[in-house]
Amino acid sequence: MEQEFKKEFKFKKSKGKKHTNMVKYIIKRIVIMFPMLILALIITWLLAQMMIVSPVLFKVGHDDPQLLQAEMERVGYFDPWYVKLFNYLKDFFTGNWGESYILDEGKPVLQFIGEIFPKTLELMIIPIILTPIIAVKMGATAARHKDKSKDNIIRVITILAAGFPIFWIATMLQIGFGVYLKEFTNDLFDIPVLLLNSGDFTDYPGPIGGFRTNFRIIDSIIYNDQAFLWDTVLHLILPSICMVFVSLAGISRLTRSSMLEVLDSDYIRTARAKGVKEDDVIQKHALRNALIPTSNLIIMSTAGSLLGSLFIEMSFHYKGFGWTFLDAIRKGDYLVINGLMVFAIIVTLVGILVTDVMYTIIDPRITYS
Amino acid sequence: MTEQDITKEEIDYKDFSVSGNKKWKRLLKFYLLPFWRDPEFSAYENEIEKIKSKRRLFRRFLTPLTITGFLMVLFIVILAVYGPWFTDIPLEMVLPPQLPGVPFQPPSPEHPLGTTKSGFDVYARIIWGARTTMSMAFIPVIIMMAGGLILGTITAYLGGTFDYLLMRFVDLMYSLPMLIITIVLIPMLTEDLWNILIIWGVLAIPYNIRFMRSLVLQVKQLDYVRAAKVGGALKFKVMFKHIVPNSFSPIIITFFGGAAGTVLGLAGLAFLGIGDPTVATWGIDVTWARERLLTAIWAALWPGIFIGITSIGFMLMGDGVRDALDPRLHKVK
Repeated sequence: MEQEFKKEFKFKKSKGKKHTNMVKYIIKRIVIMFPMLILALIITWLLAQMMIVSPVLFKVGHDDPQLLQAEMERVGYFDPWYVKLFNYLKDFFTGNWGESYILDEGKPVLQFIGEIFPKTLELMIIPIILTPIIAVKMGATAARHKDKSKDNIIRVITILAAGFPIFWIATMLQIGFGVYLKEFTNDLFDIPVLLLNSGDFTDYPGPIGGFRTNFRIIDSIIYNDQAFLWDTVLHLILPSICMVFVSLAGISRLTRSSMLEVLDSDYIRTARAKGVKEDDVIQKHALRNALIPTSNLIIMSTAGSLLGSLFIEMSFHYKGFGWTFLDAIRKGDYLVINGLMVFAIIVTLVGILVTDVMYTIIDPRITYS
Repeated sequence: MTEQDITKEEIDYKDFSVSGNKKWKRLLKFYLLPFWRDPEFSAYENEIEKIKSKRRLFRRFLTPLTITGFLMVLFIVILAVYGPWFTDIPLEMVLPPQLPGVPFQPPSPEHPLGTTKSGFDVYARIIWGARTTMSMAFIPVIIMMAGGLILGTITAYLGGTFDYLLMRFVDLMYSLPMLIITIVLIPMLTEDLWNILIIWGVLAIPYNIRFMRSLVLQVKQLDYVRAAKVGGALKFKVMFKHIVPNSFSPIIITFFGGAAGTVLGLAGLAFLGIGDPTVATWGIDVTWARERLLTAIWAALWPGIFIGITSIGFMLMGDGVRDALDPRLHKVK
């Protein structure tokens, strides 16, 4: 009796140790993130310095060389490199990310990002929620009926979704919805909005100076404008279908292979031999264990999806994160490029951190010594 | 996929060069006593088993899906290599400064798949684009794998500070999303196709270093590698002679996966306008076709289908190789 008590006590102590170790691990990771962030900032600064397109030239024009000189001096083009770097880092950490030079004259970059990022977030929220649900279900079904018709159909769908380029699938969907839906249904479904481009997509034209969150959906709910909400949702349907279709492949394949591994293992055989219902075997025992590597991928791809997809935004002319980034590169607005790149790096770093931490929480076998 | 049954072939013992009396005694012993091994018979059986197992291994590669993938890639390779036999139109006539015909015509006998932006023939662009795509599929991947292998092996072997620093550097590169970096870097530096491929390959090396390093670490603790080190073999010789044969199958699998990813990535870059204008790429075709999105469907359809065929072919081959090589090694016990 005493020995059993001692054993149980030891077990509890080791679990507590795991938790404190995990907190230490998290703190260590966060602390390492800062030097990495600074290094990434230096790299982005270097990239911006190497840019050939001169935004001053774009704005001022080739006419007046003296005006060009004066403008360049004002902007700080002729300072030595350490001054530039120091100013850059100082500005970054005090929140002054500069002002947009060309894209939107004089608007601070942080505010600019605050206006643009919600659009990408709106676009991505449906794929982020739907893709794991559908993909895990597909992967589990494919693993369960291995080598039968369901498995083969699902494998074909995933390979097609992963193989064809995103921008081409988007274009084909646009053609399908734009041309064939109209023709084959005799103009029943002639919704031009479903078709193409959100070129004239603006923020909610609400009361000036009123409260806005820059999310079209939330703004339209706040101000109770139903037509605007419906317009937004219609614009978002087709890109979301595209994004979900393309993201299905990775998660589904991983779920399928890890489910196959799990279904071959001994404890599943024991559960079946014990007489557990087949549904319970799959749901309660197999799927939970199989989802451990899958959850890693889901969290990682969620963090990556937050930045949006450049191809989908270009295909649908949706002025989100990626579109603005390309626009800024083309015009040479290097402060905006810097700001957007740094923002992307921050999101990615936080995503990696969250993935690692969640992985240690989810998998009970991992301990830290 | 079912296992091949091990069929015992009839061995003609008359060809066996063994002296008369002894032969019958040994034959009797061989068949009647359960554990008796005769070296000559066993050697012969061994050779036959080797040939049979090699054939079994080869048969494992030949699943329907893998064959489909191989045929797809072969199709594109034939288009790339034997291009001029399939079309009369030379390369210059399908590149931007020219204006060879009426834009956006539907398929006609003269232009089998129609025309695109400035009258370029879609069929000709696909064939000339196949060459670009083939170099896109192989060159960056070779650079990536070679760099990853060499750097991964060196770090895993040297260990210590160098290893730690390189791993931190690799973590840093992981945090920079690769697409964004290439979009910023490539228009700045160069417009030549080879340089773009080299840049892409070099930027993709960090993703491979981690993978190669884990392979090398696994091999490094095998006993015979340790024995070779103790025996005094040169470090690099040990590394490359022992590690490369052991990690052959993951390398091939990564090769095909990387080829598929590179084709898609570079086609995406071409779609965004970042590419080599003196070469025909399939990605730009899709961008041009979007000018007449609803009326000229053929201009957007065919380049995309061919990009898809290439990358799906590589993916299927990679899957097939992985199915044939890896799990069986663990399952067949």
